[in-house]
Amino acid sequence: MICCKECIDLLYDYLEGNLNTETAASLKEHFQDCPPCISFLKTYQKTTSICRESLAEIEIPEAVQSKLKEFLHKNIQES
Amino acid sequence: MPTQEEKELDEVLVRDLKAGKLEAFDQIVEIYQRKIYALAFNMTRNQMDAQDVAQEVLLSIYRKIDTFQGKSAFSSWVYRITLNASYMKLRNRKKEQYVSLDDFMPAFNKAGFQNEKITDWSENTESLLFSNETKGVIEKAVDQLPEKEKVVFILRDVDGLSTEKVCEILDLTVPAVKSRLHRARLFLRKKLSTYFDEFHAKGKKK
Repeated sequence: MICCKECIDLLYDYLEGNLNTETAASLKEHFQDCPPCISFLKTYQKTTSICRESLAEIEIPEAVQSKLKEFLHKNIQES
Repeated sequence: MPTQEEKELDEVLVRDLKAGKLEAFDQIVEIYQRKIYALAFNMTRNQMDAQDVAQEVLLSIYRKIDTFQGKSAFSSWVYRITLNASYMKLRNRKKEQYVSLDDFMPAFNKAGFQNEKITDWSENTESLLFSNETKGVIEKAVDQLPEKEKVVFILRDVDGLSTEKVCEILDLTVPAVKSRLHRARLFLRKKLSTYFDEFHAKGKKK
């Protein structure tokens, strides 16, 4: 059976579906006997999703947009 | 990930811009200004810096389009100059905000088993998710990531680009992207665990 350290090392490839059947099976076997690693897996996944929800979808403020426009207009006419 | 149509549109716009058509540039600004600003903002977490970067990058696209040879996708070129301009902003800051990720990696005992208590807070974030405090904790943790890990995390996990695209933009191998992303996620998971554990412990005492 694989240990927790190996389990965490494989987590990324496991979630990406990159592991071969045998390795994926031994990881699943580990999860069955190890609640802490299940918690780790769930919070690892959640970390990505809540960071995305918090940081994605940034819009440009109106003021910045008009400054950009003005800046480009000025600099491109001069060049 | 850009679709085939988006890629083809980029190619037409680049060709037109090289031929001196200003409308092509206006369209490029329309398509890319938000992406450039958002990436610069996530890298620098500062509106003025992000605005400076956006100005600089858009002007560079206009002035340096002839140096773009089309070896990679146009969007990758735009991401690259955006990142370089963002790095310049970060260089001017103090280095102290960065931490050593090694101090935040999972701890195991000699047999390789979990050495710390792992709580599962994944089901209990809803009430907190949109609070400014949680957002602040996440932003601060991401800002503490070293540049190498931060940029991979933002492009791949926040912007949702594919691993291949991130490799192209940063000129990295797949294993290098994977290892940086994994370390970034482990660090952020640890930071969030500390926050949520403390929060739920406080809640129980009430």
